Amino acid sequence: MRYSGFTWHDVVVLLQGLGVSVGLFLATTIIGLALGLAWATVRYYRTPVLAPLVAALAELLKNSPVLVQLFLVFFGLPVLLGADLTPVEAALITLSGNTAAFVYVIATSSIESVGHEQLETARVFGLSRWQTLRRVVAPQAAAFGFGPLTGLLINQLQVTSLISVIGVVDLTKVGAILNVRTLEPFLVWSVIGVLYYLMARLIARVCARAETRLRAHSEWKGL
Amino acid sequence: MIQLDGVIKRFGANTVLDGIDLRIAPGEVVSILGASGSGKSTLIRCLNGLERLDAGAISVDGARIDTPAGLQAARRACATVFQLFNLYPHMTALQNVTLAPVEVLKVPRRQAEEAARALLASVGLGERADAYPAQLSGGQRQRVGICRALAMKPRYLLLDEVTSALDPEMTAEVLAILAKLAHEGTTMLFVTHEIEFARQISSRIVFLEQGRLLADLPTAQFFAPDGGLAQPRIAQFLSKMSKS
Repeated sequence: MRYSGFTWHDVVVLLQGLGVSVGLFLATTIIGLALGLAWATVRYYRTPVLAPLVAALAELLKNSPVLVQLFLVFFGLPVLLGADLTPVEAALITLSGNTAAFVYVIATSSIESVGHEQLETARVFGLSRWQTLRRVVAPQAAAFGFGPLTGLLINQLQVTSLISVIGVVDLTKVGAILNVRTLEPFLVWSVIGVLYYLMARLIARVCARAETRLRAHSEWKGL
Repeated sequence: MIQLDGVIKRFGANTVLDGIDLRIAPGEVVSILGASGSGKSTLIRCLNGLERLDAGAISVDGARIDTPAGLQAARRACATVFQLFNLYPHMTALQNVTLAPVEVLKVPRRQAEEAARALLASVGLGERADAYPAQLSGGQRQRVGICRALAMKPRYLLLDEVTSALDPEMTAEVLAILAKLAHEGTTMLFVTHEIEFARQISSRIVFLEQGRLLADLPTAQFFAPDGGLAQPRIAQFLSKMSKS
């Protein structure tokens, strides 16, 4: 590759990278949320065997570096499966699992923040465990958990940049390519950084709006 | 008929209920008096199936609460109003009242809402149906709590120190509603410190002392010098409570 200045085509490449990052972030967030909430439900029901298993899995995922997990999935899993994974597949699996582990932690602690008397009241009125979860516990837990969840999602957005090392052409990878070609590291990484920053702000904005709606019942509007 | 036979409940080495035998027939208003820690609230919790009995049995209209089906039947027959209201904070007054009828009794939503609005109006909260608990005063919250219990059309209303968290003015507004319910023939088990009020509305008074029934007498007899007052512990309790 020859060194050369910026061209208009770079904008397209940059947008493609942005698209890959956003796409992976959204996909892993949705999968991670679904998985993490399912695990939290398993715990809520104190399902034998499954509940401790889920807890152990979450512990494992949140206490090891994402990069190591990524290598394990990308290089290690194919050995086990006997079939190669594409970088995008490996990224999807790793990031979804990681998000799920943290969603599980946030969800379980939020559920535990709901007053015990709320559960008892629902039981006394004859609500089933599932009805209690859906109508009484989950809405209150969601209000508690939304702040930590916002922080998690912003962090997980930044974490997506790690997948560039296994060859996914995300925003960071595009940055690396442009950097090598143009030899303009300050400019390139500034632009990349600003793009991540803007995405993070967008996530925070969307989450704040949702949280306000969830807390509509409370007199306390935050600091 | 609510029936308790030899109910014993221990917390560790502490025996909170020590062989309680009690019957509450439909139409009765039974007040349970006793000092703090005498086991009054635990009795209600046992009735609600929130505590496992160490011995004895409880049944409501023949349904024994130590089986899942019996407990479910008993919980439908009884409805509880709590000392600290225990309203669902994320729901409006109306939603608090309609939740269990819609989810448990499978009443159509519109019908449940109509009934709930009528109930709320009957306790003077017709205008506050869409307010959240945080926007209501203590007395208003407890009135919502009463509506929530009544919406289940219970055969027995269990009231667990429902005015203990309220100031005198709010207490009066809640008691007025309970008096009306008693007058209409609602069966009530009324755990309270409001002795004078208990005297007015109860058909029977039960006195608990350290987990035992010290007295279970018709109201007039309980307050008679040769009845409940003949027992020194009860006389002492009543004189202390009336002074405060």
